[in-house]
Amino acid sequence: MVTKKKILYVQTSGIDRPERLYAPFILATTATAMDIDATVYFLIKGVEGVKKGEAEKIKIGDFPSLKEVMDQAHKSGVKMFVCDQSTQLLGLSRGDFVEYATVVGAATLNDLLLDADAVISF
Amino acid sequence: MTTTSGKNSCEIKVDKTLDCMGLYCPVPILKTREEIEGLASGQILEILADDPAIEEDISRWSKRTGNEVVCIEKKENGLRILVKKK
Repeated sequence: MVTKKKILYVQTSGIDRPERLYAPFILATTATAMDIDATVYFLIKGVEGVKKGEAEKIKIGDFPSLKEVMDQAHKSGVKMFVCDQSTQLLGLSRGDFVEYATVVGAATLNDLLLDADAVISF
Repeated sequence: MTTTSGKNSCEIKVDKTLDCMGLYCPVPILKTREEIEGLASGQILEILADDPAIEEDISRWSKRTGNEVVCIEKKENGLRILVKKK
């Protein structure tokens, strides 16, 4: 059996840069269609986009809302991890993320990085 | 690894308890590392934690370091995790 390749997308951009929020979801969804295991890790300002209720408010150009793109990524099998500690760093209220994003920490990001065949950060 | 309560692997004797309640990433992992170093091979460390990041992190930390998570038990106010030193 061929082992699936793994791509890790790291999202550090926040809701002040909506054009950067779409890229990991679109790339990761495409990756799953290419039989690649795709994971998005949100940290620093990146956690803003997965806070409950935020993605619904974001829509740019002819793209669907960020929430639609995010939901589609989830449905296609993209795994999502969110650094809860980043919300502390930004002084946001803790832990209220979209239901399919798993709250994890620093050890998980390090492990994902070592495991990935490719990593790209936005 | 067990994630439900009441399984046999959760009822084994522990050698040391580490209370990480109220502590957040990365502190529980750093403290786990410190405590594991003080144990002998095969001994069990019990970790009590309410950090939402701990479940995924401890599993990955254990795999990387060669230690073994033998039980993750959900409690009312957090998790009880048993780690066996390699």
